[in-house]
Amino acid sequence: MEFGLTEEQEQIREEVARFAENEIVPEAEKYDEEETFPHEIVDEAAEMGLVGSSIPMEYGGAGYSTLETVIIAEELFSYDPGIALSIMACSFGTEAIEAFGTEDQKERFLEPVAMGEKISGAAISEPDTGSDVSSVSTQAEKDGDEWVVNGNKMWITNGTVGDFFVVLCKTNPDAEGRYNGFSQIVVESDRDGFSADKITGKMGIRASDTAELIFDDVRVPEENLIGTKDAAFMQQMQFFDATRVGVAAQGVGIAKGATREALEYAQDREQFGKPIGEFQAIQHKLANMATETEAARNLTYKAAWHVDQGEDITKLASMAKEYASRVAVDAANEAVQIHGGSGYVNDFPVERFYRDSKITQIYEGTSEIQKNVIARELLGKGF
Amino acid sequence: MKILVTVKEVATVEDEFEIEGTAIADQYLGADLNEWDDYAIEEAVQLQEDGIADEVVTVTIGPEDCEQTIRQALAKGADRAVRIWDDSLEGVDLLDVNAKTEILSAVIEEEDPDLVLTGVQAGDDSFGATGVSVAEHLGYQWGAVVNHLEHDLDDGVASVRRELEGGVEELTDVELPAVLTIQTGINEPRYASLRGIRQAQRKPLDVQGLDDLGVDDSAVDSDLELTDMYEPESESDVTVWEGGAEETAAELGDLLRDKGVAP
Ligand SMILES: Cc1cc2nc3c(=O)[nH]c(=O)nc-3n(C[C@H](O)[C@H](O)[C@H](O)COP(=O)(O)OP(=O)(O)OC[C@H]3O[C@@H](n4cnc5c(N)ncnc54)[C@H](O)[C@@H]3O)c2cc1C
Repeated sequence: MEFGLTEEQEQIREEVARFAENEIVPEAEKYDEEETFPHEIVDEAAEMGLVGSSIPMEYGGAGYSTLETVIIAEELFSYDPGIALSIMACSFGTEAIEAFGTEDQKERFLEPVAMGEKISGAAISEPDTGSDVSSVSTQAEKDGDEWVVNGNKMWITNGTVGDFFVVLCKTNPDAEGRYNGFSQIVVESDRDGFSADKITGKMGIRASDTAELIFDDVRVPEENLIGTKDAAFMQQMQFFDATRVGVAAQGVGIAKGATREALEYAQDREQFGKPIGEFQAIQHKLANMATETEAARNLTYKAAWHVDQGEDITKLASMAKEYASRVAVDAANEAVQIHGGSGYVNDFPVERFYRDSKITQIYEGTSEIQKNVIARELLGKGF
Repeated sequence: MKILVTVKEVATVEDEFEIEGTAIADQYLGADLNEWDDYAIEEAVQLQEDGIADEVVTVTIGPEDCEQTIRQALAKGADRAVRIWDDSLEGVDLLDVNAKTEILSAVIEEEDPDLVLTGVQAGDDSFGATGVSVAEHLGYQWGAVVNHLEHDLDDGVASVRRELEGGVEELTDVELPAVLTIQTGINEPRYASLRGIRQAQRKPLDVQGLDDLGVDDSAVDSDLELTDMYEPESESDVTVWEGGAEETAAELGDLLRDKGVAP
């Protein structure tokens, strides 16, 4: 058994931390307040190769594995989740293109993302389709050599800043079985009939862009269909392990950041003539936060490692996602508590962590859905 | 053109620390790439990107632990690295400028670069002498505290701008081969890219001992001795004047002059 990181992985962590401290931390409050997308920081991150880091070297990425991507996500999210997501999500949806795309599709879509020239997105959820993905109603109909897409997608990360989206569409309404008849189709944002409506007023990760997408007779060439027609559900499911581990890493990062801030504050703030960190009640909070973060990290790294071995780890990935997101929310909560009144205003980053942490229990499958998955696997029931 | 950059891993200190004997206690120490060397590496890599340099080689005196710092330089774009270490260096408490000069000069003679870039100083022991001392030892020209370098090293001449005290700057032409000691601010050092970090793992990092360089073990003996290390006592003192600005401003002025704060 080997628990250590390689020298290369340590180096990635350190360089990402350096980037975050210098480029993200000073700007985090501003982007949160203004609820705007951090284009400048994303451009710099792209220059460093943080965007699309898992895209293979031959298409301009760094070709990093799930574990390395987890390390990057953990580090970025420990400084500011909103900006971190803005960076990490620039390549959302490209995993399907990487796995199932043709050579032509990879060149068209992967390269510009890895170079930081284009931003992608993954459009699955709809106003009436959340946890039950099989109820997707956005339709794509074949007309000559084009697909004509109609429908609405809801809560789409990068909605108003993205250049293209991998859209889960119903392509065969007559297919039998709940999970059949869906395809993944790339829709570029400059196609006629495409529009995006920014969703404002988010509780957290406010730097990250979220929007509703509207497809009104949007025509795309048939070459935009990724992989096999009508088999998208199976294609999509393959990435749940990796993407859920990715959100687990976000949770680990938030817990780590909240703990770091709380630890510092506990040593500075004095009451009753001594630093509050001298009180056992505060010490125990810090001990719990650090222990739970470590446990979440181990679960997450283990899951990532198994994904990289090419194994199917549905249960483990859901465990990591559910547990790490819970730890993130708990740690952020305790960090605010340790800050007292100062934690209730945005003078300190913990107020932001508190708001940002919640999303990790919602997107990429809610905590309830993760528990359903874990239980189903335990009980040996198929999906 | 070949450029050699000296790269040092320096000790960094936490805000709060304790001194044990003549050293800061280990638990308060970290390690990082010397800030000035970061700028020197960037300058060399930019010269390479501009098609002026063909090869950038780094040289470091240090134990295996500092290879992570060396890989950082490689990840930023240096082509290969040389690290000097052996048992005779292992036991040395204080590696002085003479020792560094002999060792680095031996490497430079072997590598035969056209240009050597060093930092103005190292952030931890701040001798601030190594670059110039190496140049003197090798009979190279040198430019110290360089904050701009023209990227056309035509006719074997480096045109540099140097920072002098009091905001004065000077332009100098230095004949190659030369050593330039690089000042912070000459450029904007890049972050190592993820691709760079990945590629750095496969770049050559050659380890040599003093024997390999033909340097005698006695080179590391030093005439310098570190006798003490302490934090200077800081004093604070408050003077309060009662009354309006008209009466008290002059008194404040006198005090500031008295304390040497105002001229
Ligand atoms: C900021 C943000 C960014 C997002 N980005 C994207 C994106 O890029 N692409 C994308 O496609 N989607 C995205 N989403 C959507 C997200 O994935 C969904 O919100 C999520 O899957 C939950 O769906 P829902 O909101 O419809 O909730 P619902 O499915 O309506 O769930 C409501 C509640 O019911 C519970 N529930 C539902 N079914 C069950 C069940 N079977 N058993 C027990 N409890 C159940 C849920 O756990 C939850 O507590 C994003 C959402 C947000 C808020």
